[in-house]
Amino acid sequence: MVLWLIVFDQFVPRILEVLERRHYEGTKVFRFENSDLFALGPLVEYLREHPRHERRRVVFFGNSMIYGYFVRPEEAIPAQYQRLQPNTRVYNAGINGQEIGTGYLVGKDILDSVDVLYIQAVRGRTNEMLPSLIPVDDADLLRFNLARPDPVESRLRSALGRVWKLYRYNYRLQAALFGTSTRVFIYKHKRDLARMFRLPLLQPASFAPIHGQVSLRAPRRPGPVVPGIKADLAELARARGKRVVFIEFEFRDPVPDDGIATFNAAYAPFAETVIVHVPPEVTIDGMHATPAAAAQIAEVLIQHELVTPSSRRLDGRRPGALGRRDAAAPAGADAGVTTEAER
Amino acid sequence: MIFTELRFVALFLGCWLSFYYVPRRYRALVLTFWGAAFYLLYTGQFFFVVVGLTIAAFFSGRRIVAWAAGLVTVGVLAYCKASLLVPLGFSYLAFELLHVVMERRRGRIGALSFGELLAFVFFAPARIAGPIKRYPDFVAAVRDAEPSSAAVYAGLLRILLGLAKKFFLADLLALTVAESLYVSSFVHAWIIVVAFSLQVWLDFSAYTDIAIGLGLTLGIALPENFRAPYLAKNIRDFWDRWHITLSHWVRDYVFTPLGRTMFKTRLRRTPAVIAVISYLATFTVVGAWHGLTPAFLLWGVYHGALLSLYHVIRLKTPAWIADRPWYGSPLARAAGTAFTFLCVTVGWVPFMLPLPKAQKMLALMFGVAR
Repeated sequence: MVLWLIVFDQFVPRILEVLERRHYEGTKVFRFENSDLFALGPLVEYLREHPRHERRRVVFFGNSMIYGYFVRPEEAIPAQYQRLQPNTRVYNAGINGQEIGTGYLVGKDILDSVDVLYIQAVRGRTNEMLPSLIPVDDADLLRFNLARPDPVESRLRSALGRVWKLYRYNYRLQAALFGTSTRVFIYKHKRDLARMFRLPLLQPASFAPIHGQVSLRAPRRPGPVVPGIKADLAELARARGKRVVFIEFEFRDPVPDDGIATFNAAYAPFAETVIVHVPPEVTIDGMHATPAAAAQIAEVLIQHELVTPSSRRLDGRRPGALGRRDAAAPAGADAGVTTEAER
Repeated sequence: MIFTELRFVALFLGCWLSFYYVPRRYRALVLTFWGAAFYLLYTGQFFFVVVGLTIAAFFSGRRIVAWAAGLVTVGVLAYCKASLLVPLGFSYLAFELLHVVMERRRGRIGALSFGELLAFVFFAPARIAGPIKRYPDFVAAVRDAEPSSAAVYAGLLRILLGLAKKFFLADLLALTVAESLYVSSFVHAWIIVVAFSLQVWLDFSAYTDIAIGLGLTLGIALPENFRAPYLAKNIRDFWDRWHITLSHWVRDYVFTPLGRTMFKTRLRRTPAVIAVISYLATFTVVGAWHGLTPAFLLWGVYHGALLSLYHVIRLKTPAWIADRPWYGSPLARAAGTAFTFLCVTVGWVPFMLPLPKAQKMLALMFGVAR
């Protein structure tokens, strides 16, 4: 048995390469199964190890709104974005309950490996488990008041990982094979079995037809910029010639334009905050989009990329940048997209 | 899980090797050294509090010291429980220390060696989630320990069993339990609560399996904590199968002394009342031991009430019912097992959820949700 393990270990890196290529570079809709944190670490590690890529790479990070709570993976905003942009590989890294602090740290880690990074701007907390999942530098640990992973434990792990590949790549293998942990995978399939016998609680088809209209605005006005994590990530994006788009969803309460306008004036095209107005009529429960609304949101985001003058200016610097030819015709041609940045 | 942390594994390997190679008379010292290193690593400064309590327990031969040691230990435990920050395994540790103090007062521990007491207090495998050891048994087990290859094999099997229970079963069930966030129907509520019932048993007994397995590799037998608890025929039987080391502890140090004291009062004419009071008091302690929150206390009182009820019903069952042929039949026993499981499972609801949510869950389970 030990001998078998030793022999098998020699093939682990190769197996991982094949599995990860299929999982991350394939065409299947990418989303964290069951909104589980498990696969975040493997995704970040993969992107960092593979900064070069054939297709334009877009990552969405946010909470259940991005993840697509209540709706199927292919109905969430990121998947709708990929449907409209077939030459783009979109990663839905949304996880229920995550806030912008987590988005900032994840974004910092993967910025070099993506073309456009969408981060949902919600409050500012950071997930406490993050340092054990992704690389977080000392300054950020201090800044976000996060506990440093035990140094002895980390050293022991990397030492064991050097001699035992299966141990080293255990999480990444599971994520590449199942899209999540083996445990969640089994659980999900148990749910599928259960579904054969009884109806799920919420059927996407049962959502009422929508009457409202999603709209997007990206105000710009010169003025002082409030320092903070958004500004820091924007600086980083500027330094690396990348693009980060912060999404503020405007549900019932209006989002004030002031701070956002000066931020956009200071950092566009490298970083921008877009306010996506999502009227309650197009939501399931006032804070989660219906599949049709998700499609509209994806559409306004793409439209905004196309019409932002800055995005064309960045073209030369970004491999696989969004081209007009690439932009599929909007699914619902009657979608009245208003892009205020254009005015 | 601390058992699978490499720090713990490395410490335990060091402990095993030195335990195996040193002469027998130094074995307690080896256990103390590695156990103390483990506890210092995982609890930091609190380690010194425990050393202080252990010294107090060591000198508890004198009445006044015994009282002081006992009260301070209970005080520290209550303080930790009230602040909801209990250092690793201290709930178990405090009860072990109290056991030593009380057994000394009763004169059942003759010569107490400080080295062996420290080994008992810091014994790492049982320091994470029990079992609650007994000093005389533990010391005898260490003196006779034989870490043979058969013992190591048996221990490793037991550890594997524990890991499988924890990672394949308990953690999988935890995903179903997490559905309580959006529970909205009668059937769903029952599925979740039964899943929790199984999870809490598998999880806890997995920790015990690993602790016992680690002990076995050293040739040290630790007390068993679970004996198929959900096969219990009645609620009393359940507490003889569930968290056995805790229920025996409270039996010996709360239930029995309390009952004995009450028998010296006028209450002795109504033994049923004594039993009921003792059960309720004992299980309030059990609830408080799990945490000083209304939910845990409620859970404790619930079990106290179930046991009291069982006691009274047994006492008052008329002969004409007990004499019926079906009374002891397999079918009746199966019904008893099922009913006991049901009662215990309902009891887990406040254990699983914060009180307002527990209330909602119970309302769903009993069809009275608005």
